[in-house]
Amino acid sequence: MAGDILVLVEHADGKVDTVTFQLLAAGRKLADYLNVKLVALALGHRLDDIIASLQGRGMDKIVAVNDAALTQAAGEVQAQVIAAIVRQSEARLVLLGYNLVGMELAPAIAVQLGVNALTNCVGLKIDGGAIVVAKPVFDSTLHAEIALDDGEAAVIALQKGSFAPIEAASAQAPVTFASVDVAALPSHSRILRLAEEPAGDVDITKAEIVVSVGRGIGTAEKIPLIAELADALGGVLACSRPVVDVGWLPRERQVGASGRTVTPKIYIACGISGAIQHLIGMRDANRIIAINKDADAPIFGVAHLGVVGDLFEIVPALTQAAKEAKAAKSG
Amino acid sequence: MNIIVCCKSVPGLVTNPKVSADGKSLEYQSQLLAINECDEYALEEALVLKKAHGGQITVLSMGGIKSQDVLYYGLAKGADKAVRVDCENQDSQVASKVLAAALKKIEFDLVLTGTQARDTLSGQVGIAAASRLGLPFAYSVVAVEVQGDRTIKVSKELGGGRHAEVELGLPALLCIQTGIQPLTFVPPARRIRARQQAVQSFSLADLGLSGDELSAKGYRIRSVHPPERSHQVSLITGSVQEIASALLEKIQESR
Repeated sequence: MAGDILVLVEHADGKVDTVTFQLLAAGRKLADYLNVKLVALALGHRLDDIIASLQGRGMDKIVAVNDAALTQAAGEVQAQVIAAIVRQSEARLVLLGYNLVGMELAPAIAVQLGVNALTNCVGLKIDGGAIVVAKPVFDSTLHAEIALDDGEAAVIALQKGSFAPIEAASAQAPVTFASVDVAALPSHSRILRLAEEPAGDVDITKAEIVVSVGRGIGTAEKIPLIAELADALGGVLACSRPVVDVGWLPRERQVGASGRTVTPKIYIACGISGAIQHLIGMRDANRIIAINKDADAPIFGVAHLGVVGDLFEIVPALTQAAKEAKAAKSG
Repeated sequence: MNIIVCCKSVPGLVTNPKVSADGKSLEYQSQLLAINECDEYALEEALVLKKAHGGQITVLSMGGIKSQDVLYYGLAKGADKAVRVDCENQDSQVASKVLAAALKKIEFDLVLTGTQARDTLSGQVGIAAASRLGLPFAYSVVAVEVQGDRTIKVSKELGGGRHAEVELGLPALLCIQTGIQPLTFVPPARRIRARQQAVQSFSLADLGLSGDELSAKGYRIRSVHPPERSHQVSLITGSVQEIASALLEKIQESR
């Protein structure tokens, strides 16, 4: 039906990504308010398991495009397939995750459909009758609220964690297999293979205490300061993306959207400003402690405990205190 | 291989931005404009590809006269040509239209962009321009391998440590991920010398664009404000020693 809301299902290795259940929660709210249907769209080959795990998650309908050609389809082709389904179903809104997959697809789908893409959204609500998104701007120091014009179609890409995942219920949604001739779509690219990054010598996702360092550390020579604190607390050393990009720590230590997601008991962020890409990799930690010299740094928005100060003074003092406490205990 | 690198000129610290009267952009004052860091990585990758495979690098930027500085910076880093499109527009759809029109005017095999601009944080313009031109694209590229004359193979991140290897026919557009190459230092003397080089400039009329195509539509920015905090952070204050013992106590009780 015209005006429906379509959620793009993200899946890998036969499993539906959590972000999809979050999108379905967001979509359900909108669909109820607008009195339209919520449709889950799954693309891939051999989708039985995917469809089964979608069932009962709030959608009115599941549309599947099941085609062997999709296993090799790069962004260019996927965007055309999604746009074709949106046109067929006359859906108004397309919701997808703003992760490395959605970042590639959202602008391409929007151009195919001739609509706007609202990307990097951290909030989605109805306000004064309008669909309103919130998104970070200016290095995540500020948020902008953007309202769609009445009845306007759009592609909306939401950050993981913007909504709690929808609960499973018993209702079964009808499944339609859409026919799109994937192999016939214009294509100049193809996926050759998918690969898992080789495991390093440390798995930061398993640690109970993660001590993480950001670009506020300034130079590679200062990294041992943070490593020493991690040692003294019996935790592991991790970091934000910029630290890996400049080669100070290996990729396996990276927390965030393009790295690992960690949920330790304690996460200590040292000199990390807290760009949204980093926050979505650690904000579910039990207790977050931030040490940063900038009181306005976004990291303080998710931290439970904060110290506004010089990490080069505070970190060594904390390391020393932890060592002394340990010595007193064993002595 | 001829490569175009799209470089955006972005503000440093922005104070008190306001929503424009038409609700389509954010107005702010910022003295300092610099190359968007993500785009600088794209430029570094272009320099490495040029060294290995020859060809020319063109740095391309859309913006007012102030954004010319990032083009000089690109030239100082080793780009051969610089082109500025004289247009200031924060809308992703409009920017991608302008960029696509400019790309049609320049000969290229490969277009490289960063993943996201630090001001708008939308990450749309590169892929949207590629889609308008019917070019294949890949986002978050961490390795580029040239295979023969008209094909490249790239590795791109999918998140959580997963990657995809993708083969693309040329011409193509790649959004380069940060960290793909180390950033190189440019000696000030070279930066000064680069300012002698010519920068070609296109007006929107040169690109055959006008009026309605260039207006943002369909939405209105309502407000811009500091992010809402999910909870109140409790700040620990005192001497360094006091802070350290207070922190340690909190850590011990959370274990």
